[in-house]
Amino acid sequence: MKRFLKWSLGVVLGLLVVAFGALSYLAGSPKDALYMVRYALPHMHRGNLKVGDEAPDARLLALDGQTSFHIRERTAGRPLVLVFGSFT
Amino acid sequence: MQIYNDYKDHADFLTVYVREAHPTDEWQMKSNVKDDVCYAQPKTLEQRMAIANDFTKRFKYPLPFGVDEMANAADLAYSAWPERLYIIDENGRIAYRGGMGPFNYKPGEARAWLAGRYGEVKHPEKTEPAPKKS
Repeated sequence: MKRFLKWSLGVVLGLLVVAFGALSYLAGSPKDALYMVRYALPHMHRGNLKVGDEAPDARLLALDGQTSFHIRERTAGRPLVLVFGSFT
Repeated sequence: MQIYNDYKDHADFLTVYVREAHPTDEWQMKSNVKDDVCYAQPKTLEQRMAIANDFTKRFKYPLPFGVDEMANAADLAYSAWPERLYIIDENGRIAYRGGMGPFNYKPGEARAWLAGRYGEVKHPEKTEPAPKKS
C-alpha cells in the first residue's frame, strides 16, 4: 500500500511538473506562468453563449464619461461586430 | 483596423473596453514596459475612463467605443476578458462567437463571417521595390 501511495504521489507530482512546464512555455516564463495562474485564469471564462442565442445587453459609458448607452441599442438594422479588449 | 475599414459600410463596430489584462499591479508583461503601456488596474471609473481615453488618443482609434462599468457587466455577460470577438446579427442574436483571447482571438474568423455575407475585400499584395542597378 505504501508503495502504491509513493507511486501515485510521484505520478501526480510528475504531471504537475509537466503541466507547469507547458504553462510556462505558453506564458513565456515560469514567473509568467505563476502570474497567469494568480491573475488571469480566475477571470477567463469560456461562457455559455452560443451562436443563435439572444445577445445579452449591458450598459456602457462613452469616452466623455457622462453619456451611457446599451450594447443592444447598436444592433438595429445591421450586424454589430463587438471587439472586447483593454490597453495592456 | 483593416476589417473595420473594409466592412464599416455593411456592419457596425463597437469596441468595448474591459478591465486591464496586464496592469502593473498584477501580471505585467515586459512588452508593456517596452511600449510604455504601464497602468495599474483601475479601482475607480475615472481611472478606467482615463486609460480608455489614453488608448484611443495614442492610436487615433477610429472604432466606436464604449467602456464597461466597474461592475464589469459587459465582460461578465460575454465572458469577454481579456479579449474576445462577437458578431450580433440584425435580429439581436449571436452570429459569431470568437474564442477566448489571446490564444483563440482570431479576427480572421470574424472577417470570414463578414466576407461570407458581404463578399471578400481583397487588397493588392505589397511588392518589394526592385533593387537599383548600380
